[in-house]
Amino acid sequence: MKKTQSKAFSNLVISIILLVFEIWAYVQTLSFKVVKNAAVQPASFPQFMCLGMMVFTIVLLIQSVIKLMSMKEDDPLAAPAGSINFLKSKGALAALVVIALCIAYVALFEVLGYVLVSALIAAAIMWIIGKRDFRQILLVSIFVPLLMWLVFYKMLTVNIPMGILQPLKNLVDMI
Amino acid sequence: MNWSLLFQSYGSVFLNPEVLLMTLLGAAGGVLLGAIPGMTATMGVALLIPFSFGMDLIPSIGLLLGIYCGGMYGGSISAILIHAPGTPAAAATLLDGYPMCQKGQAGKALSIAMFSSFCGGIIGALVMTFLSPLIADVAMEFTSAEMLMLAVFGLSVIIAISGQSIAKGLISAFFGMLLCTVGMDPTYSAKRFTFGVKSLYSGLQFIPVLIGLFAVSEIIAGVERIINGEEKQERSNEKITEVLPGLSTIAQIWPQILSGGLIGTFIGAIPGAGGDIAVFVSYGFNKSFSKHPEQWGTGIPQGIASTESANNGCSGGAMIPLLSLGVPGDAVTAVILGAFIMKGIQPGPTMYVDKLDTVYCVFAALMLANLAMLVVGCCGVRFFAKIVSVEKKILYPIILVISLLGAFSINKNVFDVGVCVLFGVVGWLMNKYEFPLSPILLALILGPMCEQNFVRFMDLNGGNFLAILGRPIAVGFFVVAVAVILFSIYNQKKINKREAAAKAAAKGE
Repeated sequence: MKKTQSKAFSNLVISIILLVFEIWAYVQTLSFKVVKNAAVQPASFPQFMCLGMMVFTIVLLIQSVIKLMSMKEDDPLAAPAGSINFLKSKGALAALVVIALCIAYVALFEVLGYVLVSALIAAAIMWIIGKRDFRQILLVSIFVPLLMWLVFYKMLTVNIPMGILQPLKNLVDMI
Repeated sequence: MNWSLLFQSYGSVFLNPEVLLMTLLGAAGGVLLGAIPGMTATMGVALLIPFSFGMDLIPSIGLLLGIYCGGMYGGSISAILIHAPGTPAAAATLLDGYPMCQKGQAGKALSIAMFSSFCGGIIGALVMTFLSPLIADVAMEFTSAEMLMLAVFGLSVIIAISGQSIAKGLISAFFGMLLCTVGMDPTYSAKRFTFGVKSLYSGLQFIPVLIGLFAVSEIIAGVERIINGEEKQERSNEKITEVLPGLSTIAQIWPQILSGGLIGTFIGAIPGAGGDIAVFVSYGFNKSFSKHPEQWGTGIPQGIASTESANNGCSGGAMIPLLSLGVPGDAVTAVILGAFIMKGIQPGPTMYVDKLDTVYCVFAALMLANLAMLVVGCCGVRFFAKIVSVEKKILYPIILVISLLGAFSINKNVFDVGVCVLFGVVGWLMNKYEFPLSPILLALILGPMCEQNFVRFMDLNGGNFLAILGRPIAVGFFVVAVAVILFSIYNQKKINKREAAAKAAAKGE
């Protein structure tokens, strides 16, 4: 295995990304309100957490560098890194599509309503992961969100957006 | 102790059909509610308070305690079966519960969780019956110094649940603590990491983050595994012949049940500390002192027993300050306090003099609630265990739509659904690059407690942290925390050495 495909290399890259994030977070804390005569400032605790993260990120970085330096090129015993290469892995691409669907779900939650948007995402995910029995897809994707809505709305009195299916809610209220 | 009144009160509870029925109904509702990610026992109790208006005090308390105890166990069902803890108090149960389920032992895991919950609850109820005034006195000694050190003690468990890389575990923990600081600062109302987003003013809600990190991330990873052909369908061949664990299993887990129940009861008795803290303290404590710490987290009965007994032990513990001092131990008992007041009873020190019969009836009702939870659990264990046999291609979308609804239901806010999805992605990436998720969870639970008490302590003592040395209980917690940290580091090094040796041996072959 190449060094760049090893866990040690991925840890090195992650350490650098984390360090950038931690420095950014620390800089943000500098703009927090300063309270006069306070023993502990509102920024103190988050700053301490950023510094804590930085210390252990540097430890991880050093560990990764040492490991990489002691590793031979094309070392067959090196631990492989997890991959999110969407171009090479169909699984990673499917995961990316599911994430995109979840983001669309959040965006459409109030517009289309819980039942409809959940039915759509459930059907889409089943299709993506290879379910081809349309009767099952329809049954599960419609029945489960509808049942959950009824349980939450009627039994647990949680008001859930129904979007364009508002008439259904009115109908249930009438019954 | 007035023994004749105690027996009389127990008799009046256990032989009253209305109390029996209400407690059983409460337990059934609690188990179902707890099993839904996002729905907590607190919500269940709050929802059913109006229904208890027309009832007498004891049946209504039986109903509410039934929900409380049932909800505590119910949370473990989804934690074990679908990697999504139904309640925060079940968060640690998934560490060993889900791996057991993946090994095809879902039924066994559920029965251990149920039995441990029952035993923990009974331990809590017994301690409450016999020691409540004593424990209440100790609990009320807790000031910001003790609470701070209790949080530090809880955080000392992080190394024990960090897995192979302590550095990665600690990065996760500090990240979790940093997440706790998002929103308005609780002491001075300063905005922190809010970026002008109003929904962030109240901070990140715990339940959507929890559901995202564990359930949504698992669904994303599951889809990836199915497409890569790595997903195995568990057509569980496990035959559930006994709904309760066998004697050999009980012999394995009783020390964890006992210690978990006692830890849960004690932590539950401290106002502001609840089951979510107790489970991690119990897990870390039991793992640290286990002969085989390397097996923890791989799906062992002891892991489930230590957490489930602790969270139900809390139910008894939380009732102690409520009855003795009129101070609720957690959110659920705060709602139960409301039920007492509605019935014209003011819990507090005088209750042990004026209303001793009512106090004993409450003790008995808690005992009954745990029995009812056991009955409901026994009836449901076969049914619940079948869930893992549902085809993954159908199960994943179902879990997703239920989980996202659970995230929404906390504040009826779509923003929380977004937070849940965001942390789903974060959890998926963290799992991929072997950053443990449990330390984030622990940090999210203990972070606010740690910061608030630290700020309060420093303000009260003019910024002199060394003043903590004058608080013996706080120093005691600190010493135990240091011991747990050292022991965990030693254990982890031992585990890593053993694993490296095993790997080298395997490669040599």
